[in-house]
Amino acid sequence: MSTSSVSKGCFVFKPNAKKRKKTTSLEDYFTHGSENTENGKLRFKTCQTLWDKMTADTEFLQDELNRKILDSLLEFIRKSASTFQHGANDWGSQMRAHEIPTAALVLGVNVPDHDMTFHSLSEQLQQSVTQFVVSLQAKECAALKQLMQNVLQRLMGASVSVKDDDLDESEPGCSTVDHKRAHCSLSTLCDWYNTVTKKASSGTPGKKRVSAGKDMHQHPPIVVIFKDLEAFNSRVLQDFILICSRYVEELPLIFIFGIATAPSTIQHMLPHSASSLLCIELFQSLSCTQHLATVIDKVILTSQFPFKPSGKVLQVLVSIFLYHDFSVRNFIKGLQLALLEHFHSQPLSVLCCQKQEAQGNLSKLSHQDVERIQQLPSFMRYVENQPPEDQVKLLTNDDHVKEVCQKLLKDLRKYHKNYYPILRCLHVLTSSLPKYPLGKQIRELHISCLEKNVWENEEYASAMTLLRMMAKEELVSALQTCSNILKPGKTKKIKAALLQLQDLLDKFKKPDSVSDSAAVDDITSPGKTLQKKTDLFQLQKSLMEMKGSRRSKKMSQYEMLREEALDFIDQLVRSHLAPPESQPLYEVCYYSSSAVLRRHLNATPRTSIQTALSNPYHYLKNEDLRNEDGTVSNAAPDICIVYKLHLECGRLINLYDWLQAYATVASAAEGKDPDSADYGKVNELKHARFIQAVSELEFLGFIKSTKQKTDHVSRLTWGGC
Amino acid sequence: MPGQIQHPGYEEEKLLRVSKLLPCRDVQAGRLLALMGEPEQYSYPSIFIYGHRATGKSHVLHTLLNELELPYATVSCVECLSLGLLFQKIILSLFGSDCVPLLPRSPSLSDFVRVYKQLCVQSTAKQTKYIVLDRADLLRDMEANILPAFLRLQELVEDNVTVVLLSEIVWEKFRPNTGCFEPLLLHFPDYSKDELQQIMCEDSHPSYTSELYSAFINILLGVFYSVCRDLRELRHLAALNFFKFIEPLEKDEVKESDIHRLWRNIEPHLKKAMQTVYLREVSSVQWEQQQMAEKEAGALRGLSAHAHVELPYYSKFLLIAAYLASYNPARTDKRFFVKHHGKIKKNNFLKKHEKTSNHLLGPKPFPLDRLLAVFYSVVDSRVAPTASVFSQISSLVTLQLLSQLGHDDQLDAPKYKCAVSLDFIQAISRTVSFDIVKYLYDFL
Amino acid sequence: MSKRKAKKTHMTVGACISQVQTILRERFCHQMLPEKPVGMESQYKHLLELLKRTAVHGESNSVLIVGPRGSGKTMLLKCVLRELLEVTEVKKNVLQVHLHGLLQTDDRIALKEITRQLNLENVVGDKVFGSFAENLAFLLEALKKGDRSNSRPVFFILDEFDLFAHHKNQTLLYNLLDVSQSAQAPIAVIGLTCRLDVLELLEKRVKSRFSHRQIQLLSSLSFGKYLDNVISQLGLPQDFPDTKFSEEWNDSIKRLCEDKAVMAVLQKQYNSSKDFRSLHMLLILTLSQVSVSNPSIKPADLLEASRVCGADSKANMLHGLSILELCLIIAMKHLNDIYDGEPFNFQMVYNEFKKFLQRKSHSIYNFDKPVIMKAFEHLQQLELIRSMEGSTANIQKDYQLMKLMLDHNQVMECLQKYPQCPTDVKQWAMSAFG
Repeated sequence: MSTSSVSKGCFVFKPNAKKRKKTTSLEDYFTHGSENTENGKLRFKTCQTLWDKMTADTEFLQDELNRKILDSLLEFIRKSASTFQHGANDWGSQMRAHEIPTAALVLGVNVPDHDMTFHSLSEQLQQSVTQFVVSLQAKECAALKQLMQNVLQRLMGASVSVKDDDLDESEPGCSTVDHKRAHCSLSTLCDWYNTVTKKASSGTPGKKRVSAGKDMHQHPPIVVIFKDLEAFNSRVLQDFILICSRYVEELPLIFIFGIATAPSTIQHMLPHSASSLLCIELFQSLSCTQHLATVIDKVILTSQFPFKPSGKVLQVLVSIFLYHDFSVRNFIKGLQLALLEHFHSQPLSVLCCQKQEAQGNLSKLSHQDVERIQQLPSFMRYVENQPPEDQVKLLTNDDHVKEVCQKLLKDLRKYHKNYYPILRCLHVLTSSLPKYPLGKQIRELHISCLEKNVWENEEYASAMTLLRMMAKEELVSALQTCSNILKPGKTKKIKAALLQLQDLLDKFKKPDSVSDSAAVDDITSPGKTLQKKTDLFQLQKSLMEMKGSRRSKKMSQYEMLREEALDFIDQLVRSHLAPPESQPLYEVCYYSSSAVLRRHLNATPRTSIQTALSNPYHYLKNEDLRNEDGTVSNAAPDICIVYKLHLECGRLINLYDWLQAYATVASAAEGKDPDSADYGKVNELKHARFIQAVSELEFLGFIKSTKQKTDHVSRLTWGGC
Repeated sequence: MPGQIQHPGYEEEKLLRVSKLLPCRDVQAGRLLALMGEPEQYSYPSIFIYGHRATGKSHVLHTLLNELELPYATVSCVECLSLGLLFQKIILSLFGSDCVPLLPRSPSLSDFVRVYKQLCVQSTAKQTKYIVLDRADLLRDMEANILPAFLRLQELVEDNVTVVLLSEIVWEKFRPNTGCFEPLLLHFPDYSKDELQQIMCEDSHPSYTSELYSAFINILLGVFYSVCRDLRELRHLAALNFFKFIEPLEKDEVKESDIHRLWRNIEPHLKKAMQTVYLREVSSVQWEQQQMAEKEAGALRGLSAHAHVELPYYSKFLLIAAYLASYNPARTDKRFFVKHHGKIKKNNFLKKHEKTSNHLLGPKPFPLDRLLAVFYSVVDSRVAPTASVFSQISSLVTLQLLSQLGHDDQLDAPKYKCAVSLDFIQAISRTVSFDIVKYLYDFL
Repeated sequence: MSKRKAKKTHMTVGACISQVQTILRERFCHQMLPEKPVGMESQYKHLLELLKRTAVHGESNSVLIVGPRGSGKTMLLKCVLRELLEVTEVKKNVLQVHLHGLLQTDDRIALKEITRQLNLENVVGDKVFGSFAENLAFLLEALKKGDRSNSRPVFFILDEFDLFAHHKNQTLLYNLLDVSQSAQAPIAVIGLTCRLDVLELLEKRVKSRFSHRQIQLLSSLSFGKYLDNVISQLGLPQDFPDTKFSEEWNDSIKRLCEDKAVMAVLQKQYNSSKDFRSLHMLLILTLSQVSVSNPSIKPADLLEASRVCGADSKANMLHGLSILELCLIIAMKHLNDIYDGEPFNFQMVYNEFKKFLQRKSHSIYNFDKPVIMKAFEHLQQLELIRSMEGSTANIQKDYQLMKLMLDHNQVMECLQKYPQCPTDVKQWAMSAFG
């Protein structure tokens, strides 16, 4: 798996095989520590299932998203293959110089995410077009020889055993057309290809059948995939292209360039002498932000996943995505980490699952689990709002608590069922507004809803005012989509809302009387214009004159309807988009410790090393090391002392002075009296310790040896005290 | 009209056939043949043929060798990844495949010569053997002894063999500093415009008169001759654009005699072709398709038109910082990025002792910490120096947006250069609404 | 002999010509040995003496034959050996080992080769030797075990001697010369080299074991001698089947060499280099024009030949450039004039070119940048310009520092020769500063 991406450091490389092993160790990790193991086991099981579901869904999504581009790519390859078959009959293609058909596949800057795409691509190729597919990575092709070797081995590997030291091996006395003694050259490949294809066409059951058009049978193309073009050495690439172009008549070669940045890099990498041998066609995959949007839409903005990230957590994940890496995979991994953390840290997460299991688990709850429930802030809030006698029961009777929880969980599920459709409706209405007061992407709206009561912040207010002057047709269409969103809704609340919305729409549809239709027009006209102007000042002005006009005129029928509709929407929002904190037992489903997540996903090694060195107490928690004013006590580990001292030096550090300073501090630590003769003297021990500390610093990359000046080292850090 | 090549050593009709196959190259062919002499006669040990691409160097040679049925081996040095491969090919085509196993694995030159000698002794053929090395300039990159050895191979193997080297590069660039056996130099001059015309007219479209075609070629050369004289390239372009040329005829808007109208129709099209398909911005297939589709030529965007790259927020700023660091003199950083740079007088700051701008000289290398310093001062929010920030730098390197100089020992304070164009960086900074031009020393 | 001649006195011209071709080509291309080496009699005698002593009296010895390329070192040696081997007892006694610096690129290979040439492979079999010296000693020892007690003399002939000095520790040289010093076995080490400073290449321990005999071949041929040599080179031998033809031919050669123009050409050749090989190149080119239709060498042929030899290849290549490429070359030339020879990059060249276009306000040449870049790349391919950076992998194309591999005059000359070169371009090139 490649690590060259805009997110390398932060990648969790976890092949599936390893995951199994890991999870088994995970289980006891769950149970261990907690007093009742079966609870832990349960949590682990649910966590496991959710995890796998998430992975499966997202992978499916990814395939869906790649489908279009892959299909077009396959089409391209088929076409060029068939032209190779019966191309050279018409005048034009005879006269034309023969070029190697090449697909430039642009996949966005995050290279590790490409692996999946390429994998599925080569699979589809294998089963639908040709079995001759080679995919190359830059790091295996440092030199032309390796590149050649890889290509040949992977192609002919099936039929012959090409040895590793293939390059110039030749045992005398083996038959003339064997590939054993093959110097890896394309001519060898040619011979091999001809033999193989002959076999295939004559129909001997030697090679696998190719399940494509019959011309594919005779001459299946040879597809060479360069996974990460940018990383390739351009010299090597040129030579390879040059060699291939000499065989373009015999071999139906096709290249695929995996490009992370932009197609123009081809022109930058290859001189024209090389690029003029290619016939490049372009394939753009959709941007990773769209990709993310779909993933969030399918995985987070749905009630089918009981586990929910809180606003902050989501914020962290999204910002990592947007600021550091454009890696969707990374995002998903982050989400899964959150999932893991939640189930591990929160014992009550045992209730965070589908309805039926939840009931079962609830009944299984132990006494202290119940106590945990009672201590949940949200539950307490709920209790306070109950009449006193219930309060007593809720605090004493476990079974009662369980029953109540049953109901509460049900409510929570309902809440979610209502929340998402309404959220989408609101987004539909507001996403078309100028300046996007409530955010362009739905995730932003979602986050702001999770934070606090969305209707309390002024963006919402401004959005509403803007909506209140929306032109008819837009409003209607928006509401129409809303109703479509609400249709699948199951809960009665949603059903009711849907009905209401429907007859509102009907009212809108019914034509107004002539008299106010005019009014409608000239009222709505500023509204219309409003869509166009985006700067706020303009907005204010128009708002003003609106007010004026409103005062003067009586409201037209359309306006009244609009008012009604928007009030209805507003009331929907208020009733359904309350933040989860308002719901009792929300802790069961929501994971909110964003700090942990940030620490894990976006580590700051440098700073933590520096804290460790400048303030050892922070990690060692040893009282003697506690220090107030940022000074290191002389009892600190040698490396800390040495580090502290080196901060006081310039770019070049004289080792001897350094040693002296160290010796003084060290002997101070030994508590010698400052007047004694050997105070601050350097003995072997101190010397040794000093040397060790220094070499440790060097290892950490704070200093390095230099040739500028004898017995000096140079600092690699800047600043200091 | 081709000047008949004559040589007593060979049958007339063969030579006639040869000269048919070699239009406008009879002089060179004649001289070459004369040098080669009769089949049994010795020829000069090594002949070095140079000339521009597609001036018929290898074509002439191979036609001669083929048509006159002389024993020869031809190897393109591009393909010879290893010496072994080179030797193997030669032995193979001179003595047949069953001799190849005589070569040991990873043979040295002396092995090759030994094997060659012993094979010569066996074979009784007295004819001159020819070894043709195409793209001979690559021999220089092989072991130092290869080129000189091939030049005097005749002497080394004591056989009637002649080595012919083909290259686009002049002999002066080959000669090793201690000198070597000087080959006989032969120059293949480039085709003149008329010759090009004549040659290209030979492959005229069957269903159209050759006059028409030659008229077309004439127009084509009118546009392209001043830029490109590579026959292969020109032929390619002709094939691509001919159908566009005859389009009006097909629709019989114009009659064949009316060359001028045809010219007016095709000329802008060819101009377009020079900017697109000639540079392979647009693939030849796409070009033809859009001709069929009657689209106006602007519809297709070339490769370099898609220069936009989506980057994470911080990567963008890192790149911007890198650009600034590599195009601004370090001394000016203070003025650009320190809020209150009181001391620096505008005028003495603006004295440009170097009159040429940095965008002419290209990017300068800069150390990592300068990059970070600039980065922290251009990025709006304060950024924690997280691992991912640093990894983004190295990722930018692998994406070839930055280029790292010197050995990549991270401890050893690496230096970088920014490897993107001004347009690119402007596009990037527009997306983060950062006015980069304000920060560039050249545009002050 | 006389019978054969009588039979063949009147051959057809064609037959004669082809006969001539065969003979002369043998001389010029295959270095057929002349019956007596020209202009190096003293060296010949010296070397002969030396080798005789080894061959006959079994004295070891070592000698270097030093002379510029094509001065006839190999020829000299071969002649000497030829004469030496006419003595029968020498013939059946002496062994020869020919090593070539270009072939035996390291001592392991060299040793294998020696073993092979002394055909001792079967003797050696698959023994393993501690050191090179041991191995060599064994080989020489093995030679002893012939019919006679005292071992047979061996000539070690090292062509391109200087290359052997680059082998690791100069082991081969050391051992050979060592043997030649100590009277283990009578060997003669004969080195041929074109490097006059060859002794500086030798390590001290090697140098000290070398006899410091050098045979210099700095040919001090007078032009007269040179001319005679040419005649003899072109002349036909006595035993040429068709005497009539041969006489005519030889006369024609004589006449040829009295021709003024030919004299001039040969004089030029003589001044540039006295060596035979370059002469041979000239002569083969001349000869190649001799045919049935042109049965004897005309002065014109020789002139033509010298023209072909003396052609300036760079100029030839420049002639084939497109106008655009030529313009770029001129721009670079101007840059060189301005920043006296400092390296430049594409951007600068582009600017320079643009300046020119702005001055001439017509639109024939204003191509867009990529097109110009392509032309620029082509120039780079032809190595008319060379990149200064070592690894150009990750530097933008248009900022790579380049150097022009042509000088001012070459550019100007090519401008004169260039077919229908536009005048304004000419003027631009002439103009002092871009």
